[in-house]
Amino acid sequence: MAPAVLIIVVLRLWPLLLGVNFSFTGDGDRNGTAVGFDNYVELLSDPLFRTALGNVGLLVVLLPVAVAIPGLLATFIYLRVPGNRVYRSVYFFPAVLSPVIVGAIFNLILAFDGPLNTLLGTIGLGPVDWLGDPGVAMFTVVGVHIWATFGMALVVFLAGFSTLDSALLDAARVDGASLPQTIWHVIIPGLSRTIQFVFVTTMIGMLTSMFGLLYVMTAGGPEGSTYLPEFYIWTQQGQMNRPALASAASTVLFLIMLVVGLAQMSVLRRAGRED
Amino acid sequence: MPGKRLGRWAAAVPMAALALATIYPLVFTTNVAMKTRREYILDRFSPASSLQVDNISAAWNSVGMARYFANSVIVVAFSVLLLLLFGSMAGFALSQLRFRGSKVLFLGCLAALLIPFQVIMVPLARVMADTGLIDTYPGLILAYVAQFLPFTIFLMTSHYRTIPAEIVHAARIDGNTTYGVYRRIMIPLGAPALLSVGILDTLFCWNDVLISLVMMPSAEHRTLMVGVTSLRGQYSDDIPTFASGVLIAAIPVLLLYLFLQRQIADGVTAGSTKG
Repeated sequence: MAPAVLIIVVLRLWPLLLGVNFSFTGDGDRNGTAVGFDNYVELLSDPLFRTALGNVGLLVVLLPVAVAIPGLLATFIYLRVPGNRVYRSVYFFPAVLSPVIVGAIFNLILAFDGPLNTLLGTIGLGPVDWLGDPGVAMFTVVGVHIWATFGMALVVFLAGFSTLDSALLDAARVDGASLPQTIWHVIIPGLSRTIQFVFVTTMIGMLTSMFGLLYVMTAGGPEGSTYLPEFYIWTQQGQMNRPALASAASTVLFLIMLVVGLAQMSVLRRAGRED
Repeated sequence: MPGKRLGRWAAAVPMAALALATIYPLVFTTNVAMKTRREYILDRFSPASSLQVDNISAAWNSVGMARYFANSVIVVAFSVLLLLLFGSMAGFALSQLRFRGSKVLFLGCLAALLIPFQVIMVPLARVMADTGLIDTYPGLILAYVAQFLPFTIFLMTSHYRTIPAEIVHAARIDGNTTYGVYRRIMIPLGAPALLSVGILDTLFCWNDVLISLVMMPSAEHRTLMVGVTSLRGQYSDDIPTFASGVLIAAIPVLLLYLFLQRQIADGVTAGSTKG
């Protein structure tokens, strides 16, 4: 027990405090001196950081999609679409690949003359500059992230389904409920805990595990359009040698995560009560 | 019910298409890795003319993939062993031994679980630099242990809670010390959970890029995932060798997935159903 406590306290909780404290000191010439909220002011006026925050907003908007896809697929698998056992293993497999591997693979797939544009070309669409167009690149990266992780949420949903009372589903079938009705009135209320869990973990995943993809696929570009807070922190720390500014960004990211977690929980709890 | 069956088949078509979209990128990459450069430039889609592994051996020998691979194996092996050791000890203590403050410690663990690496990255790098641990194997191993220990403890604690207290009492009456109970009861009974958590921890550490990038700046200490990202710049005009490097990094994980899929899925869902 003791080594575990020591490691967690020294290398997790202590750095958190250290980082917050650090974010109120200066960089470079002003190294170590207290500068109040200067770093935070600078952050908010930095267009790159604003883009990063805007992209967080985009992630929040896309979150329901990222949750609905695995949810719907899990529903189909649960309702025994032909071949459902195979799908489970196939869909889950990208979840074990490193974001770096996924990003590298998709660099090939999404190349301007790569397979996806070729496929679109055969049906008369495109080509799209998936990673080079500032208006498209962020959506591309999020899409790849969803490709890589929906299997994880799918497995969690399936575990939730196994706790669902199948008598309710039978009753719905006897009453002649359609599939959308069944999903809305039986499955969503029955799985509210699972759905809540998937919402929170998916959002946390989007905020904290897209670094590998960004690093390999876009490096924050084009025109800084694919920055996320985690990538911003890394750039300021590693490339720009601005650790105190990076700490301020870290603190902001931590606050975002707290807010997201709490907000989603309370929203879903309220939704659960109305049923 | 013919109509019902038709509906199920209607869902099966998009699901099959999605399954194809899940598998295809890896198939494409594997095919590219088998091609010669000339073949790739002429036609990247046709099946490779022969099952040649020249590119793979080239990537393995010339680019330093062998070195990166060895670095990853060393770091991941030690990290996972330490994680399982500390995690099982802490899980045992938190679930079976009642002591003052055990609840607080468990909550502390949960809180640490919510702190992403990005948030403590800057101060942690500074602590590691101050102690001379940056850019060393022990430093990176320690960083991994710190990062994934809360998760490991959480899963081990919830697994050990399912072991009846009577068994522990009986072992005590038979004259076992606390350590004896840990070694003779907790380790054997915890084996399935240890396997499951161990595989997940292996995946986390093996797939990580950010922690390794921050903690191991020098080129000869690169882990495999960081190595893969460096390939891209080196081999931007030799895509088959690049694809081979990607495959080398993905193969261990794919093997793990093929043989231990069940344990991986169990680990992922344990957090959702017990949490």
